Amino acid sequence: MKRYRLLVVLLGGLVVLLLGVLVFGNLNSNLVYYLKPQEALARKADFDDGRRFKLGGMVAPDRIQRTPGGLRFTVTGGTAPDSTSIPVVHRGAPAQLFRPGIGVVLEGTWKGPRFVSDTMMVRHDENYTSPKVDTGGARR
Amino acid sequence: MTTIVPAAGWTGAFLGVAASLSLVIQGFRAQYRPRAVRRGQLAVSVWIMLGGAVLSMVALEVALLTDNFTVSYVADNHSRESPWLFSITTAWSALGGSIVLWCLVLAGYTAVVLRQVHSTEDRLGTGALAVMGLVGVFFFALVTTVANPFEILSNPPDDGPGPNPLLQENILVAFHPPMLYLGYVGFTVPFAFAISALLLRRGGVAWLRRTRRANLVAWSFLSGALVLGGWWSYEVLGWGGYWAWDPVENAALMPWLVATAFIHSAVVQVKRGMLQAWNFVLVLATFALTILGTFLTRSGVVLSVHSFTESGIGPAFLGFLLVVLVGGFGLFALRGERIASLSRPESLASREGTFLANNLLLTLFAFVVLTGTVYPILLETLTGDQISVGRPFFDRMAVPLGFGLLLTMGVGPFLPYRHATAGVIWQRLRVPLLAASVSAAVVVLAGVRSLGVIGVVFTAVLIATGTLRQLVISSPTRTPRGFVRLLAGQRAYWGGQLAHLGLALLAVVIAMTGAFDTRSTVTLQRGESTTFAGYQVTFQTTRQYPAPNRQVTEARLTYHQGGQVVHVATPRVSTFRNRQQAVGTPSVWSTATEDIYVALADLRTDRVTLNLYRYPLMIWMWIAGGIIVAGGFWALSSRIRLRSGSETGEAAPMSRTVDDSASSDAAQANPDA
Repeated sequence: MKRYRLLVVLLGGLVVLLLGVLVFGNLNSNLVYYLKPQEALARKADFDDGRRFKLGGMVAPDRIQRTPGGLRFTVTGGTAPDSTSIPVVHRGAPAQLFRPGIGVVLEGTWKGPRFVSDTMMVRHDENYTSPKVDTGGARR
Repeated sequence: MTTIVPAAGWTGAFLGVAASLSLVIQGFRAQYRPRAVRRGQLAVSVWIMLGGAVLSMVALEVALLTDNFTVSYVADNHSRESPWLFSITTAWSALGGSIVLWCLVLAGYTAVVLRQVHSTEDRLGTGALAVMGLVGVFFFALVTTVANPFEILSNPPDDGPGPNPLLQENILVAFHPPMLYLGYVGFTVPFAFAISALLLRRGGVAWLRRTRRANLVAWSFLSGALVLGGWWSYEVLGWGGYWAWDPVENAALMPWLVATAFIHSAVVQVKRGMLQAWNFVLVLATFALTILGTFLTRSGVVLSVHSFTESGIGPAFLGFLLVVLVGGFGLFALRGERIASLSRPESLASREGTFLANNLLLTLFAFVVLTGTVYPILLETLTGDQISVGRPFFDRMAVPLGFGLLLTMGVGPFLPYRHATAGVIWQRLRVPLLAASVSAAVVVLAGVRSLGVIGVVFTAVLIATGTLRQLVISSPTRTPRGFVRLLAGQRAYWGGQLAHLGLALLAVVIAMTGAFDTRSTVTLQRGESTTFAGYQVTFQTTRQYPAPNRQVTEARLTYHQGGQVVHVATPRVSTFRNRQQAVGTPSVWSTATEDIYVALADLRTDRVTLNLYRYPLMIWMWIAGGIIVAGGFWALSSRIRLRSGSETGEAAPMSRTVDDSASSDAAQANPDA
């Protein structure tokens, strides 16, 4: 049964090779970091070259302006008055029921001091009360 | 009085644990020494297990329907004002209840397996029952520990929040989760038989034959659940799509892909005695993926739009997954060599050759989805960075793999086994290839420049005409009666072909909706109109009305065409009591040729912002799903007949025993009747 073992080893090698190709080829160019406002500001230098990332936070209750192609608003990291906030220019359709105070996940890039996004998702969670801004991969 | 119901639920779960444990002990003992255990003893364990599960489920439903807020699950997930239908579906809207449902389905499948085991002499069967019991111990134990829905609250609230508003929008929540579980849990049966066969050091086709039905049932339900899940997402979430490569969706897709591969490779083993060891790998992988999927969705480990759960259940599932992987594959590593088949395909240009190609593509597909789903979790565990894998990764991988699969569907089922000469291949594929080329040319002439659409139309027509040709060629008489006799006689083959046709249709719809969608976002004052997809859309009024447990605000839009009002759309926003966030519900107008889909982005009394989408042929996506499921059930309804003899002519072969298989399995000639 040497041949069988050889086959298993070959298959294992193939899987490893495939994994390598996937991870370092296609996957890496498609990784999108998920950052909260304070992290996004802290790591701004890493993403200033136009790398896409996801920004998750709360829509600040101050002025939301509708523009012809989308809207402008501010995303904050929390409800405290001193929490980090980032001005956002969103192009495209706002998510269903976009309004102040909801948690959103935006995908886009830095453009100077502004975050320019083109996709917006409203965050839903199990408890569905006011969105917890610090939702991450909930780990215990 | 109010504590009787949760106490009954507890009792049911504990009965389930105890009965599963005794089934494990008796089952393995019976497998080791058939004379030591009577069948009646096994039966008692199984029936108590089923009874316990039914008791738990009924207790949960009664607690929900009687507003019994002393029960923790009811207090967390139910509200007095919920309509009765959504009170019933609340039973599987959160963690505890869905594990109870899981136990019920598992106990049901165990009872079905018991019916197959006629005496304890059937060592394969008794071992399988023991493995089912092992899985049962884990799930019933979850109900009594980390996922317990029956905790009794000392000071119960007066009312609860109700289930997640998203789960109170659409009747589909009554069907999607139970269907998903019927699929997911059903894969325990082939897994149990595979482990039992490994313990007995028995390769061969006995375990395949006996799990064929359960596997097809599970596969059909999972197929249906996947389509219903997409439909729910489309009808409720309001982002205008049906599939987002979200981890929750991937969790259901991965087992489906591997199970589909298994359905095909099992045919190869039964017919030609090949791929014996491979079949074990696929079955173990399918089951492991169902556990992994449950872990992903139920532990809140992934960041997902509809990750419904965060609880301490993650470690439990991860531990169980490890046990399954180490136990299953460890056993396979120890015993695998002895059951590896010795026959090799004579030629890759044959039906088994295309089966190999399909298996390769499907497992590769599953592997890609697995990598993209698990990688972010691994990376976050290692580095703390939160990342997600963008859709392009999945799309770029899924498109070529999907095309490969469509091609194998268009060629494989029409080739003979063993060896096909170029002449035979040409003879059988000439007409379908011609028809497919003509259709592709017509599509190009019609002005379509999207390669995806052209390719999908080509392969879909190839599959359809190939199937039609096969039907005409192999029918004994070319009369309607002859065709019916053929379709009814060889159900395994024709059920498969029906599922292929459904998949071809699905692929066409996916390509069309992807290539020819129109979307726009408009803001309208009251009475104002906009033109969209050939309709004049006018915002008429808004109205507010109370509904059970919610306040609904509805926008009324009229679609005019040629001065006539052709449709009135009412997208709405619901505000739930004791919930902060409002939920929007899109309004979908489906016709045979197109869907006009409208979701509210913003709603004021005199101004509304709409996201409008138009998708061609969308309704056919759900119809295609129905065809796929129907194919699965058609194949399922066949009786496997035991015949011997060799295949002649072009007739679609019947399933029968293999005389030239490498297995020397003198197992019970027990067709899974």
